[in-house]
Amino acid sequence: MSRRAIGLAIALVVTSVVIQTSAFGAGRIQPFGASPALVLLVVIGCARYLSAEPALLIGFTAGLLLDLLGGSALGLWAMSYTVVAYAAWRVRERADDGPFVIGFGVLLLTVLGQSLFAVAGTLFGQRILSNPVVVKHMLLPAAYNVALAVLVLPLITRLLRDRRRGWAL
Amino acid sequence: MYSFRRFDRSTFLLIVLLVVSFLLATFDVRAEGSGIGTTMREGAQTLFSPLQRAMSAATRPVVGFIDGISNIAGLRDENERLRDQVAELNAKIRDQALLETRVAELETLNGLETPGALAAVSARIASPGSSDFDQIRWIEKGTGAGISVGDAVFDDRGLVGRIDVAFEDSARVRLLTDPNFGVGVRDTTTNETGIVEGKITELSLKMFQAQEPVAQGDLVVTSGSRFPPGIPVGIVSETATNEAGFALITTVDPLVEMSKLDYVKVIVGWSPLDAGTGGEVPLDTDPNAPGFNP
Repeated sequence: MSRRAIGLAIALVVTSVVIQTSAFGAGRIQPFGASPALVLLVVIGCARYLSAEPALLIGFTAGLLLDLLGGSALGLWAMSYTVVAYAAWRVRERADDGPFVIGFGVLLLTVLGQSLFAVAGTLFGQRILSNPVVVKHMLLPAAYNVALAVLVLPLITRLLRDRRRGWAL
Repeated sequence: MYSFRRFDRSTFLLIVLLVVSFLLATFDVRAEGSGIGTTMREGAQTLFSPLQRAMSAATRPVVGFIDGISNIAGLRDENERLRDQVAELNAKIRDQALLETRVAELETLNGLETPGALAAVSARIASPGSSDFDQIRWIEKGTGAGISVGDAVFDDRGLVGRIDVAFEDSARVRLLTDPNFGVGVRDTTTNETGIVEGKITELSLKMFQAQEPVAQGDLVVTSGSRFPPGIPVGIVSETATNEAGFALITTVDPLVEMSKLDYVKVIVGWSPLDAGTGGEVPLDTDPNAPGFNP
């Protein structure tokens, strides 16, 4: 794993965090009351090309940045994004290439990340599961991520292409 | 195929990172707005604020365009509704002018002083948080402008929330709709007091010693326990009566539409000890501030 690939992955994560926290969300781009989980999509995209340890650290760092810039307790997004990065890294070696598999994978992994955060947040007293629109906040970002994957994943592929191990687009 | 050795290392790292995350969450929840978590948040805010502001400025036209498209279907009805509302308000303004004259005369007669304006700082929303689950907003002003933790935040319609984290150039507003937010309120019709708690899309009102029922349409305002008294909070959406031995529980619709916030005001330098010396909060303390229409 080259330092260049890891550096690019970090740059992608930072850029996506800036976009997520300033362009998406309430009062910004939030169609039907929910916004895409762009950072999660970038983590999934990077996990397809990085080796296990950098992929996990990228997931953890991305989640921690969201924790720092959001309203949740530190570590909650970090926890769920680390698990998503691990799952994405594990799945990529088994999944067949193809748009359907990628789309379905992005959908499931996004729901997994959002659900883990909701459960962990509730355990730490954030009462997320008592949110009457919690299901919408899990499913709509997943649907948006599938649509965004058409743009974002090829970009990541282009940047990290020589690290490709599967799940090509 | 993946090697057992590599799988083993990655699983070990996964466990380590999960334990670190768990410890971070535990310490952060226990620290309640202080400690290493606050230092890390301050550092992240310092690094990301300029980038977020630049991105917000760049995407604002796009956001406005998308917002306009998504609302275009409802614009005609909204226009008609607003025309009716303007006519109704004009009539109310005429009535109010008469009432104000009479109140001023009565105050002069009784030797009462008009409540002075509380100090307030206007600030723009910098970031809506990092996910749809967040019930917070970051604002572009902080301790440098006199803002401190616990200050009340409002806009021209009513209470928005309170400051729960404050740095030099930024501060975090915990919204009224957050399930961990609670504030003492008073029903302006019955004068009964209670507590309002956030429920994401609405508020929950609990009154433990209410003698009179709460009616749909009643306005509830802050009672002065944590914030200055008289800040409008919401409208009771369901009539409820108090049954012996049980608390009166009903729902309240917040006056402020949290998804439309752009500018807010923060009341600075007020403490609950001032509750007895001040009056109702004037919501037009700075009529020239953008976003505020007295």
